[in-house]
Amino acid sequence: MTQSIEELVVELVVSTLLSLGRMFVAYLLSLLLALVIGVVMARNKYVESLLLPILDILQSIPILGFFPAVFLIFINTLGPIVGGELSSIFLIITSLIWNMIFGVYSSIKSLDPSVDYLARIYRLSSIHKFLYIYVPASRSSIAANSIVSWAGGWFFLTSAEVLSMGKTEYRLKGLGSLIIKAFEDGNTTLYIAGLLTLSTVILISYLTIWNPFTMKYTDTKILLGFMRVYNSIDRIVSKTWGSIAGKLIMMYNFIKSRVGSTHTVFLILPILSIQYLLYPYPKNLYSVDYSILSKVLRYGEDFLLEVPNTLIRVYSVVVVGLVISVLLAYISHTRFRVGKLVVMSGEVLSSIPAMIWWPILLPLLQGFPYVVMGFIYLQGSLWYTFFNILIFGLSNLKGSILEFSRIYGIRGVLYLSKVFIPSLLPSILAGGLSASGGAWNASIAAEYIAFGDLIVDMGGVGSLLNKQAMAGDVLGILLTSLFMSLIIVIINKLVWVKVLRRISGYYVVE
Amino acid sequence: MSLSKDLVLEVRGVSKSYTSGGKVFEVLKDINFVVGREYITILGPSGCGKSTLLRIIAGVEKPDKGEVVFNIGGKARIGFVFQFPTLLPWMTVLGNVTLPLIAAGVPKNDAVERARRALKIVGLEELDDFYPSELSGGMKQRVNIARALAVEPDILLMDEPFSNLDPLTAENLRSEVLDIWSSSILPIKSVIMVTHNVEEAVLMSDKIIILSPRPARIVKVVDVNIPRPRTRKMTEVQELVDRVYEYVS
Repeated sequence: MTQSIEELVVELVVSTLLSLGRMFVAYLLSLLLALVIGVVMARNKYVESLLLPILDILQSIPILGFFPAVFLIFINTLGPIVGGELSSIFLIITSLIWNMIFGVYSSIKSLDPSVDYLARIYRLSSIHKFLYIYVPASRSSIAANSIVSWAGGWFFLTSAEVLSMGKTEYRLKGLGSLIIKAFEDGNTTLYIAGLLTLSTVILISYLTIWNPFTMKYTDTKILLGFMRVYNSIDRIVSKTWGSIAGKLIMMYNFIKSRVGSTHTVFLILPILSIQYLLYPYPKNLYSVDYSILSKVLRYGEDFLLEVPNTLIRVYSVVVVGLVISVLLAYISHTRFRVGKLVVMSGEVLSSIPAMIWWPILLPLLQGFPYVVMGFIYLQGSLWYTFFNILIFGLSNLKGSILEFSRIYGIRGVLYLSKVFIPSLLPSILAGGLSASGGAWNASIAAEYIAFGDLIVDMGGVGSLLNKQAMAGDVLGILLTSLFMSLIIVIINKLVWVKVLRRISGYYVVE
Repeated sequence: MSLSKDLVLEVRGVSKSYTSGGKVFEVLKDINFVVGREYITILGPSGCGKSTLLRIIAGVEKPDKGEVVFNIGGKARIGFVFQFPTLLPWMTVLGNVTLPLIAAGVPKNDAVERARRALKIVGLEELDDFYPSELSGGMKQRVNIARALAVEPDILLMDEPFSNLDPLTAENLRSEVLDIWSSSILPIKSVIMVTHNVEEAVLMSDKIIILSPRPARIVKVVDVNIPRPRTRKMTEVQELVDRVYEYVS
């Protein structure tokens, strides 16, 4: 409590560097995995049909669902220090990798077939195709997805630095755990200092890296960024990438001369990584209890009782988020400068962990628990619609259509209903899809709030998962997470994907 | 120009430049011409600023200097044929043609009736409930033209309307546009068409305004006094094409 200013500054700087380090390591690993998995999935039918459903499920597993896995493989085998660090990075990866994989996958999938002919005619090897066609072709989608992923990583930072399972808890030194601790100790100075540092780091990272990166490789104009700083970073990254690429080609040629087959090299890495992701579930599940069937049924019953609550909340929040995002998009569209500020504020607000809102929310908790719940839900889902509509949607508004509207004087409600909203529809739907995933994950934080002696239990699947985690019920967490993912995947397949496919057919403006 | 033609609009001293990356690009420099009840073609090399000039006449861009003055009682109704069809993919053909009319405050039923009439003129009356994605390139361009005709324009502006079509479709559409123009079933007073196709300019227009490369200035105004219907094979047409080529190059 009685820290001197110097101690406070040192504490902040060290914590920030540690958190930033974890974020970058997690991001780089995600990037590499996303490139390899996305490319192989797009190029190989078998891998595609195997991985698409698996990734769909993994994507919708909430961060709490990964905790048992983390404890079992990392902490129990490698100890709290090395294992803790690896757990944290692994957890950050689970909150940022999925949209990157899908981004790479869809940009390779939509590549002009003539590129393939070109590669075949000039006999490019797999490694050359990977380095000189697939990686550059995915650049714009990686850039745009990084904005969302980076926010997702920071958002879950507090969860990734305070690992708890039942009564066991490990805390890693970092900005996320520092803020939580300051809050628990009632150390307002440190709490505010931590928050300000966090916001500043996030702001700077967007201004110098992610926004210029996206501005350089996409048509987006609504971002703020320092191109000059970015360009020097870009040069270093390009150089490093160039030398890594050279080494990769050498390695590839070496392995190829030993193994003989070109495909094997590219299959080894993704298979290893997927195995790594899946490994903990089956093996340790059975060692928990053998009378598994009756347990599964009991957990299934619990789940079914709670699911209607969460279902209604999730989709109401998605609708609210869509309305807010479309309105903000319209304002940004008509007033461009305001738009840039709106997006920048969104980038920072979306990255700040939910935890940060507690001091504001706590006083409301007893009188208006629904307000607090709605707010947390919205924080976990709004940003998907926000980024999709304001960054991807607005930049896809065709200049020719805007000109047409001006020439024929199409304005006001007519413009909104016949031109603006229909133009945004693909990104409204894509955003809605991710937002519903986000809202399901947010149910964990929104439906069960424990602070000191105060417990507010709003019911629902999120609350169920929380109670299971508090009780250290590994099987419960795994099964509930799995049921939840199944429900999400079913709804996505039945509703969203069908609608998306239907509109993407005729939604090309010429 | 001959005095028998009424003055419809006048372009007076129009200049325009853009700034991009700190550099200033002069696009149009002191453009002056008058338009009567006639078919005018603005001819010039790609990227010379023809389309900018058309947009300034349409009133969606402002010149840095100069003005466009209309000599029509009240506000001029403008029909605009875009270089690319620019149809809204989520609306049917009929919906696309009706939209500008509804925006102009025409009651729904009248708007639909006028849109149908315009679609009939371009030969698409059967396809009004189709979506743009179900049409060929030529059909889409016809919808684009029908949309411009439906507003019953005083002035029809066309931005390279035939440049993205295959030669046969372009040929057909050219003669259809000329038929519409000469039949006076619509109250169109003037047509201003932008093109980089010399032969098209000679075959279609009463007057050709030739622009220089950027910054565009008027190099020459050529009157085309060849009786219609004109064909490629007519000696006068071939001679004029040759002459215009000399001004262009």
